[in-house]
Amino acid sequence: MNNQEEFRRDPEETQEQKLHSGKNKLIVSFSPHLHKDESVSKIMWMVVISLIPAGVAGIFIFGQGALWVILLGIVAALITEWIVQLFAKRRVSVLDGSAFLTGLLLAYNLPPKVPFWLPIVGSVFAIAIGKQVFGGLGQNIFNPALTGRVFLMASWPKYMTTFTSPLLAGAGFTKPLNYDAITSATPLAALKEGKVLEHISHWNLFWGIRGGCIGEVCIFALLLGALFLFIRGYISWHIPITYIFAVGLFTYVFGPKGLFTPPLRAGAGFSGDWLFHILSGGLILGAFFMATDYVTTPLTRKGQIIFGIGCGLITAIIRLWGGYPEGVSYAILMMNAATPIIDRYTKSRIYGTR
Amino acid sequence: MNAAQFLTIFISAVFIYNVILSRFLGLCSFVAISKETKPAMAMSLSVMFVTTMSSIITWFIYKFLLIPFGLTYLRTISFILVIATFVQFVEMVIRKISPPLYRFFGIYLPLITVNCAVLGVAVLNVDMFFINGRATPGSFYYSLFQGICVGLGYALAMLLMSGIRERLDLCDVPKAVKDFPLAFIIASIMSLSFLGFNGFRF
Amino acid sequence: MKKYFYEFLKGIIKENPTFVLVLGLCPTLAVSVSVINGIGMGIAATFVLLGSNVIISLIKNIIPDRIRIPCFIVVIATFVTITEMMMKAYSPVLDRALGIYVPLIVVNCIVLGRAEAYAQKQTVLNSLFDGLGMGVGFTLALILISGIREFLGAGKILGHTLVKGFQPAFVLGMPSGALLVIGLLLGFFNVLKNRRE
Repeated sequence: MNNQEEFRRDPEETQEQKLHSGKNKLIVSFSPHLHKDESVSKIMWMVVISLIPAGVAGIFIFGQGALWVILLGIVAALITEWIVQLFAKRRVSVLDGSAFLTGLLLAYNLPPKVPFWLPIVGSVFAIAIGKQVFGGLGQNIFNPALTGRVFLMASWPKYMTTFTSPLLAGAGFTKPLNYDAITSATPLAALKEGKVLEHISHWNLFWGIRGGCIGEVCIFALLLGALFLFIRGYISWHIPITYIFAVGLFTYVFGPKGLFTPPLRAGAGFSGDWLFHILSGGLILGAFFMATDYVTTPLTRKGQIIFGIGCGLITAIIRLWGGYPEGVSYAILMMNAATPIIDRYTKSRIYGTR
Repeated sequence: MNAAQFLTIFISAVFIYNVILSRFLGLCSFVAISKETKPAMAMSLSVMFVTTMSSIITWFIYKFLLIPFGLTYLRTISFILVIATFVQFVEMVIRKISPPLYRFFGIYLPLITVNCAVLGVAVLNVDMFFINGRATPGSFYYSLFQGICVGLGYALAMLLMSGIRERLDLCDVPKAVKDFPLAFIIASIMSLSFLGFNGFRF
Repeated sequence: MKKYFYEFLKGIIKENPTFVLVLGLCPTLAVSVSVINGIGMGIAATFVLLGSNVIISLIKNIIPDRIRIPCFIVVIATFVTITEMMMKAYSPVLDRALGIYVPLIVVNCIVLGRAEAYAQKQTVLNSLFDGLGMGVGFTLALILISGIREFLGAGKILGHTLVKGFQPAFVLGMPSGALLVIGLLLGFFNVLKNRRE
C-alpha cells in the first residue's frame, strides 16, 4: 500500500532516532520542523524546569507530603526506565529527562495525601506499560503520565479522590483505610454533586487556594511555566489555546443556566461559568504540559487544532454530563488514540510528490 | 418518536457505550483484523451490515413470533440462527466480489456469527425497546438505528486501532510484544480512557 | 495412538485457543474474574466442544456447504442447552456463579471456530481429541488469567484472602485489566519462546 511508503519517511521517527543517538546532527526532513537545533534531552529538561513553579506552589499549599509524592514518583520512574532498558538490552537513556518528566507529571496529577506506594506503582506502570512497551521514547502512542494516572484511578479510586484542604501543614502519608486528614472535595467534584460553592472565588482558583492535585491547583505558577515555554519556542499555541477555548465555549453554551439550557438536570452554583471551568481541575496543567507532548500529538497545525478541539469537547462533555467530575486525562488519552488517524489525513505534502 | 432519542442512541452507541471499548463485545475480530486499515474497514462494513439487518429481522421475530406464542425464552437461539444465516449470505457475497479479501478474513468472517457485538445489539434492542412484552412506540426505528450506530461504533474503534497499529508497524517495538501482545495492551489503554464516559446522564 | 495424543496436546500449548489462536475473548474477559468461575466455564466449554466437534465431524458429509454455519449453530446450541440443564440439575451453585455465561457458550468463538476450521474436515477421532485439547487449553488459560486477576484485583484466591492489608488494584477486575493481563502474558510467553530459539 503506498500510504505505508509515505509513513516510512515520517519525520518524527527519523528525527527522534537520529537526535537520540546523538550521532548525526544534520537532518534532512520535510516540514513541520522544529526551528531550534535542540536535542530531545534539552527540551525535556526545559519542560521540567518550567514545571518547577507549579510544584513549589503545590508543596507550599499542601505541605511537605506533596514533596514526598513528587520525589517518589520521579525516582520510581527513573529506576523503572533503567531496569526495563537494561532488561530489554536497549540503550539506557535514563538521563534524557523524559522519565524524569513523566514521573514529575504523574506526581502532579495525584492528590497530595496518598499512600507512599501509589506514586511508585503509578510511575512503574507509566514507564513500563505507557512508554517502554511501545519501544521507548518517540514511539509511545499515549501520554505516559496520563496512562499511569488513569490506571491508578481505575485501580484505587478511593485514594485518588481523597483530597485535602489547602494550607494544611505537616501532611504525612495516609494510613490505609483510616484517614485523619481533613478531606475536602475539589471545586469540580462539589459542582458535580450539585453543591453551591460560595466561598470559592475565581481568585482562589487562580492562586490555588482549593482542593485538588499537587501540580494542577496553582494556575499562576503553571502559566509562568507555560509562558517560559512559549517564549523559548518549545511549545506552540495551537493545541493549548484551542483546547482551552473549546472548553470555555462549550461550558458557556451548555453549562447549567448557560446560553442554551437543554433539558438537563439543574445545576447549582456556577452556571455557564466558563472562567470557572477554565481555571478549575487539571485543564491548565493538561492543556499546556500534557496535550503539547510532541510524541503523542499530531504533527501538522491543522491536526493540532483538531486535536485541541477534540480534547476540549470531550473534557467539557465529561465535566457537564459524565459520571466523573473531571475529564482532562480521559480526553487527552482518547485524542492520543486518534492522533495516528489525524496525522494520516492532515499530513502535509512531501515536496516533489503529487 | 423524537429526535432527541435518536441523538441519544447515536452518541451512546458510538462513543459512550462503544460496543468494543466500553461493552467489550466483538473483541476477537477487533484484535485480529485491526492490523491494517483497509481490511479493518472492510470488516467493519460487514459487521455493520449484519448488525443492521439482524436488528430489523430480530425485531420482527420478537414482536410477531416470540411474544404472541410465549416463546421469549427462545430469543437467544432464534436470534443466533438469524444472524448465522445472514453471515452465511455475507460470506457468499464477499467470496464472489473479492476472493483475496475472503481469504484474508479467513476464519473471522464466519465468526461474525458469534461476534458478541451482533448478538449483543439484538438483545440490547429487545431489552431497551420492549417493555413488559410490548413494543414501545417507534421501537422499530430505534432498533434499526441502534443497529446502524453499533456498527458505526465498531468501525470507530477499528479505525483508531488500525491507525495506531499501522504507525507502530514502522517503529522498532520490542520483539516479544510485536503484534498481538501490544494490540491487547493498546486495547487495554484505549478502554481505560473510555472509562471517562462512565456514569453518563443526559 | 500417538497421533491422537498429539492432536490433544496441540490444543494446550502450540495452538492454545486463547493465547495463540486468539479466540473466545469475550467470555474470557468476562468470566476470568475469579478462579472458580474460570474452572467452571472451562469444564462447560470443554464438554460443548467435545460434543459439537464429534457430531459435526460425523455429519460433515451430509451438510450442504451453503448452509453449514446455521447447521453448526444448531448442533452447538443443542449441546449448550444440554450443558445448561445438567448444570442446573447437578451443580446449581456453579450455575448461579456463571450466570448468563453458560448460554453464551453458544457465541464462544472457539466452538464455532474449531467446527469450521477443523471438525468439518477431519475424522471423528481427530476431532474428538482436538475438541478435548482445545477445551483443556482454554480451561488452563482461564485458570491462569483468573488466578492473576483474582489475586491482584480482589486480593483473594478461590474466595479466600491471602495477604492481609493488601490493597488490590480494582482495574484488574475490569475488562481493561483483563486485556492488560492477557497482553502481558502473551508477551511473557513470547519472551520464553524467543529464549528457546
